[in-house]
Amino acid sequence: MSRVVVTGVGVLGGAVAGGSDAVRAFLARAPGAPTPRAVPAATLSALLDEGEARRLSRACQLTVGAARLALADAGLGPGGDLGLVVGTEFGDLRSTIEFVDGYLRRGPGGLSPLLFPSTVMNTMAAAAAIAVTAREVSLTLCAPTVAGELAVARATALVRAGRAPAVLAGGMDQLDPLLLEALAELGGGGDARAEGAGFVVLEALDAARARGARVLGEVAGAAWRALPARPYGVGRRPASPGALAAALAEAGVAPGGVGSVQLSAAGDALRDRWERTLVEAALGAHGPRTQALGPIVGRHSGLAALAIAAAAADAAAAGAPALVHAVARGGSQVCLVVSGP
Amino acid sequence: MTAVAVTGLGVVSPFGAGVKAYWDGLAAGVCAIRPVTGIDADGFRCRIAAEVPDGVGGSARRSRADRLALAAAREALDDAGLARRERADAALVVGAVGGGMLEAEAWYWERHRRRIRATRALRAIFPSSHAEVVGSVLGLGGPRETVVAACSSGAAALALAADLVADGTSPVALAGGVDALTRICFMGFNALKLLDPEPCRPFDRDRRGMSVGEGAAFVVLERADRARARGARVWAELAGHGATTDAYHVTAPHPEGEGMARAMRAALAAAGVGPGAVGYVNAHGTATSQNDRIEAQAIRAVFGEGRLLVSSTKSMIGHTMAAAGALEAVATVLALAHELIPPTANLSVPDPAVAFDCVPRVAREAAVELAISNSFGFGGQNVTLCFRRA
Repeated sequence: MSRVVVTGVGVLGGAVAGGSDAVRAFLARAPGAPTPRAVPAATLSALLDEGEARRLSRACQLTVGAARLALADAGLGPGGDLGLVVGTEFGDLRSTIEFVDGYLRRGPGGLSPLLFPSTVMNTMAAAAAIAVTAREVSLTLCAPTVAGELAVARATALVRAGRAPAVLAGGMDQLDPLLLEALAELGGGGDARAEGAGFVVLEALDAARARGARVLGEVAGAAWRALPARPYGVGRRPASPGALAAALAEAGVAPGGVGSVQLSAAGDALRDRWERTLVEAALGAHGPRTQALGPIVGRHSGLAALAIAAAAADAAAAGAPALVHAVARGGSQVCLVVSGP
Repeated sequence: MTAVAVTGLGVVSPFGAGVKAYWDGLAAGVCAIRPVTGIDADGFRCRIAAEVPDGVGGSARRSRADRLALAAAREALDDAGLARRERADAALVVGAVGGGMLEAEAWYWERHRRRIRATRALRAIFPSSHAEVVGSVLGLGGPRETVVAACSSGAAALALAADLVADGTSPVALAGGVDALTRICFMGFNALKLLDPEPCRPFDRDRRGMSVGEGAAFVVLERADRARARGARVWAELAGHGATTDAYHVTAPHPEGEGMARAMRAALAAAGVGPGAVGYVNAHGTATSQNDRIEAQAIRAVFGEGRLLVSSTKSMIGHTMAAAGALEAVATVLALAHELIPPTANLSVPDPAVAFDCVPRVAREAAVELAISNSFGFGGQNVTLCFRRA
């Protein structure tokens, strides 16, 4: 089993857009106040070629742009041995609505064959795979509020098992007025949300060393589990050890050895309270420092890349591993143990 | 790869609920593609599909797709003889595309006519809903994932679950795929002009496109040594899998089937077998002109001409989208177990460009040791599963 390292970061959001240098500068500013929630048009168009700017949906454009940032940050060109794992909560919902509206306005004649593929959630992965020539395994993982972290955890397992020498992993989400309206009416509107995409490049340590890559951090443990909870609800303190304990065990890190935790908390009061309960149960009530970037930059599935970069920086500064933790209504839980370079 | 055993099967198909109904239909070569009843097909060139008959059961408060998934998942767990306490560490991987879109469409259609508020049905709109419902109701506490890989989603779910079992993350996993027929799917393939107005004819010289369908299938996977130790019936071994990406076009496959061939070779390599060991290919076989020609080309590139039996069970149950890879995996496992190759229904005039015996219309007795199941999706997502007879 290979050790898995992070060799690149690419984040594309209203708050920050760029590779590890831009992310480092953003985190060093110690952001506290909410930041812009949309990606500026000029930032996005600078990452796309003319055909992509004209042909791709915004969801696909965000994904392609962030993937390119991460690859450039890792010093990797487009290459055939690359895998791709895209996490998303909502997919390209805007294209789906546009496709349906064509029918409702004009009947069968109003349907766009060009829009139809975008109604399937793997459309972003397809566009990104073509843009960066990723020819190994390509996955789209759909999950409420933990999709990006889950994508990184699954990608870690793929690299560890030798299924791909390098994997781009992260996620993308886009906001749509109808979606926000529905979330608000159905009780899921507590989270601060934003549009954005973000990826990390994961490689086997040996492969990264062989090509002289800069190592930003190591994913020393990655686990995902389902905690007991009703669909769309939260659970109580878990009877099972969950992803936190599994990831720590995999990394060989004792709970007392954790330096800090990046939480997925973003404003959904019930879920955020549950997350704190879970972390306290695993690490102790007076455990390590915690931080949540969601309320500041807005939650989207690409936020996982930013959280991993922050965790790697924390781990390097403190000389102790940091956790990236996420839990969703319904019980999906992900934990990554990140150590410094 | 650590040996992974298939110890449970569950199916809801256009033949009805249950593995028995599914296999009886396939073995008899029955085509379940009929005029659409569940959605309005007026104005479309194609008005047929393979729908699951009414009476699936389950709470009407759940989406149709969630109910299909629950019924198939329950059957698979029961078939494996897994008690509830043995499920606490079980992984769950679901391949999905449409989610609860059928119900969301009904809401959106109504909202188009008059301003209405969001309903609880919208909570189940996204593909992740199936895993939330199945996992919660059946008490599965291991890793949980929903993978969307277009028409290869169901096969991808089995591949990911096999890895979780093989690497020791979970002692047992429930994996499968589900899709209910939705307006968007039906309209979209009509808009792409990929649907045959008559029941599809994979590998036929005169094929005119696919037929859409719906259903769900789940399998229980566990380490072979664990299965033996608890005395479980082993249907087959999932000996290897391969997953590749064309990185070529969003809807069209690579013209030479390069990614398809790479997936098949990767599956064989993972299983530690050469192409000569494989006797049957359950093809993706959609009946589109392009897919069947390119898939046959890719199969020939890997296996050579002639010897193989190749059939498409989509000729009987249509293309069930995210469920297809899982339903076809079950068909492949049953073909190995029953020593009977399901036919390609509606195949009258074999395409001379397809250099294989495509088992036209009538099932064929054949004791095969190894078989593969191909699934290819939009986005150039290719998955091949390789099964060994128990």
